[in-house]
Amino acid sequence: MTSSSKEGVRRQRFDSLVAVYYPDMFRYAAWLCRDKAIAEDVVQEALLRAWKSLDSLRDEAAAKHWLLTIVRRENARYFERRRLETVDIDDLSASQAALIAESPNEELAEMREAIYQLEDDYREPLVLQVLMGYSTNEIAEMMGLKQGAVLTRLHRARHKLMDKVAEE
Amino acid sequence: MNSDDDKKLQALDLKIAKAMQIDVPPLVMPELPDIEADNVTALPMRRRSTRAIWFAVAATIVLASSIALRMSNPFQTYDTLAEEVLAHLDHEPAALRVTDVAIPDNSLARAVPANVAVFDRDTTLITYASPCIINGNSVPHLVIQGERGPVTILLMPDEPVSDVESIVGENVHGMIIPVGDGSIAIIGPRGEPLEPIQQNVLKSVTWTT
Repeated sequence: MTSSSKEGVRRQRFDSLVAVYYPDMFRYAAWLCRDKAIAEDVVQEALLRAWKSLDSLRDEAAAKHWLLTIVRRENARYFERRRLETVDIDDLSASQAALIAESPNEELAEMREAIYQLEDDYREPLVLQVLMGYSTNEIAEMMGLKQGAVLTRLHRARHKLMDKVAEE
Repeated sequence: MNSDDDKKLQALDLKIAKAMQIDVPPLVMPELPDIEADNVTALPMRRRSTRAIWFAVAATIVLASSIALRMSNPFQTYDTLAEEVLAHLDHEPAALRVTDVAIPDNSLARAVPANVAVFDRDTTLITYASPCIINGNSVPHLVIQGERGPVTILLMPDEPVSDVESIVGENVHGMIIPVGDGSIAIIGPRGEPLEPIQQNVLKSVTWTT
């Protein structure tokens, strides 16, 4: 195989993966950083990194896990570089507010706001379980926690959401 | 946890999943640099015994032949959804084993993420669940045990069909049923009565996309 056709096959493989997993990558990034504009930057960096290390992905079935792990690392790098401060819910930038504002109904808007306000430690395992479908074991591995800690965080996250939504 | 608590938890998760389902902007691919062989760092060689090498070569040939037989081209396209569904069955023969061992709830949850669908397993014996790629989309692939053998169910929220489509393959038969904005494929061994399974599946699945 010539180098240009190898490159073509590589690019085709990459495009196929991205076409399937880009929505998951973006939503995961958006809920990690709680800002749609930053999520776009994080995903762009993650795509570049994934492209460069595509050959290390041996098993296509592991592609989602591999891509989300890259997103997670890029998000951490982004915040290491920027050291952004946390913001109050009433004082959001346009792209932060966009995450909540697009809700089609009031009930969903309340839930979205409640998720937004969850601490990172609670929000991330919930996103990984409910949105991405990971088991508590897998979440523990991704977040470098024990499974018991993940179960506790998920339990508390759900209770916090129920309390928050009941308040409103 | 009793069934009321289960239902409350499922309802809460459904709300959370819907709330997390934010709009995704169109993909803008970054400029991807050329990947040159020079950029790849070679791993240091390890000394291995000749015997181990021959074992490795033999294993690789067996594995490669098996993969080549099952997936001669992973990017192959099909004229119809039914053809792709049938071909997919051949790609995952391990899914079609006869067993009475149910998969655990967390495997089902992983295969059917809450942002795709809620599948109420009820008393159904589900023996296989995995996310698979159909027409470029990740779809939940489930297998239940029918009267005559394993029955495959593919939940395809992004594959609309206007009417019920029949599927006829070698020793299998099935259908693709329109469900909401998507469809569900059900394929079982020839002679398997699929009607009751279809009714059960339709009752059990709620799209959340």
